[in-house]
Amino acid sequence: MSTGTTEYPYPRGLGVTTVRVWRSEWTKFRSLRHLGWTLFSSAGLLIAIGFVSTLLTARDYAGASPEATVGFEPVGTALAGVSFAQLATGALGVLLITGEYSSGTIGPSLTAVPSRLPVLWAKLAVILSMVLTVSCGAALVAFFTGQVLLSGNDLGVSLTAPGALRAVVGSGVSMSLAAVIGLGVGVLLRNSAAAISVCVGLFFVLPPLVSALPSSIGSPLSRYMPSNAGAAIYGIDADSSSSSLSPGAGLAVLCCEAALVIGAAAYRLRRGDV
Amino acid sequence: MIEVENLSKRYGDKTVVDGLNFTVRPAMVTGFLGPNGAGKSTTMRMIAGLDIPTSGQVLIEGQHYRNAIAPMAQLGMLLDAKAVHPARSPRNHLLALARTNGIGTKRVEEVITQVGLHDVANKRVGGFSLGMGQRLGVATALLGDPAVVVLDEPVNGLDPGGVLWMRNTLAALAKEGRTVFVSSHLMSEMALIAERLVVIGRGKLIADTSLDELIALSSTSTVTVRTPDAARLRDLILGPGISVSSDTADVLSVRGATAEHIGTLAWQSNVPVYELSSQHGSLEEAFMTLTHDAVDYRASGVAE
Repeated sequence: MSTGTTEYPYPRGLGVTTVRVWRSEWTKFRSLRHLGWTLFSSAGLLIAIGFVSTLLTARDYAGASPEATVGFEPVGTALAGVSFAQLATGALGVLLITGEYSSGTIGPSLTAVPSRLPVLWAKLAVILSMVLTVSCGAALVAFFTGQVLLSGNDLGVSLTAPGALRAVVGSGVSMSLAAVIGLGVGVLLRNSAAAISVCVGLFFVLPPLVSALPSSIGSPLSRYMPSNAGAAIYGIDADSSSSSLSPGAGLAVLCCEAALVIGAAAYRLRRGDV
Repeated sequence: MIEVENLSKRYGDKTVVDGLNFTVRPAMVTGFLGPNGAGKSTTMRMIAGLDIPTSGQVLIEGQHYRNAIAPMAQLGMLLDAKAVHPARSPRNHLLALARTNGIGTKRVEEVITQVGLHDVANKRVGGFSLGMGQRLGVATALLGDPAVVVLDEPVNGLDPGGVLWMRNTLAALAKEGRTVFVSSHLMSEMALIAERLVVIGRGKLIADTSLDELIALSSTSTVTVRTPDAARLRDLILGPGISVSSDTADVLSVRGATAEHIGTLAWQSNVPVYELSSQHGSLEEAFMTLTHDAVDYRASGVAE
């Protein structure tokens, strides 16, 4: 038939924009039920562990003298679940991208957005907004539940107590940054099992290993471990002699670590074969 | 239009695609043929920008695909029918992809209807047959109403009705002025679908030509003659460029001469002929001849 006689007309108004890719990632997120479940299980973990932890403490302290409770930390007890909940949000970050690699959807996704990086930024935006909202909410629930349980012993505090609000928001922030690190590790490794293992290693295995080093190297290094930097953001430091970072420094360190992982992920996504 | 220029892809010291040059033109279906491991899929992945070429480049509608403003309106791609998250529904899969380029929900519904997935649009893709996956893959490719459509093995796994549907769909897309580039290992299917062919073997270009030329070029037609006087007719036919072989006593297979020529000779010499037929070369035969030296994986003692 005719060769090269017809110029196919392009539809008008189409094109990739940041907001459009963001909406696409939101559609992907809400159309996979297990992602929602992972998110809410992290919230559930945070609330449940805080509940059990405060319940047991309240029972221990029942009828105790005021001297016995010196140094007791009601906020930290109610937020005892953050480190485990962090693991769940980290896993959520991993699954957000490794699901695309294991199913092959990454092919169509990146064919639709050949410049590739907008997809990563959109996933980042979706996971940050979702995890931040849900985990701040969950931390608030864990905080109030804990304080109600402790109020019987007159140990509960209000949200206006020094550091309390910071601890609640800090829990949400550090859970969100764990999700960001999970997303970055997922892009780098492309495999759910491998990436989740690496996240567990980063948050649970590496810190005790570093602590086991001679203290001259171990203790300064230990503060910069993601889990310890995160703990510095939400932790109420009852013991002033502790070597942990200040909340601000902890936030800065964890943000830098998350940025580093995402930077490496962006490089790999942009330069490599899919 | 797809322009492939000096395209190469190496993995370590294995060269999968080796200096390919060809152009896929609009308003017709171009077939992409090659034995297993010839580099078809890698080439198609480089066209989609998924694999980065070691050297050379691909231009879609004259520009680098990575810089396209509305990528889905430029190129629609089906690489792997199973490339959908099994827990997602076709509607959500298409919707998520459509959103990236600002394609509306109306168009999503259109392509769902066009490929006949309306009744299962909200079902999980995990339970789909390969044929339904192929239909969803085609829907994905057509979503942006693209100028260039590239499909890797689209007839794979389709039932006869599906194959016919695919054939008509591809013909319609070409008729609308689009560039249609389709790979298949089914030569007979290619013969029905494609107007032009690009053949590669071991990553190198073997042919870039029209279907008719390719068959004429690389396959020879054979004329079969059944006659009680085979020995005499054989002597009459034999000449420069003509070869005659015989499996059974009264049947001759002649290469290099036409049926008209043999019939006339027999009539002039009063040799009775009971049967005279010519077999034209098939695309299959042409393909085997062309790629004979470029086959990576050959079953020993079977293929020649």
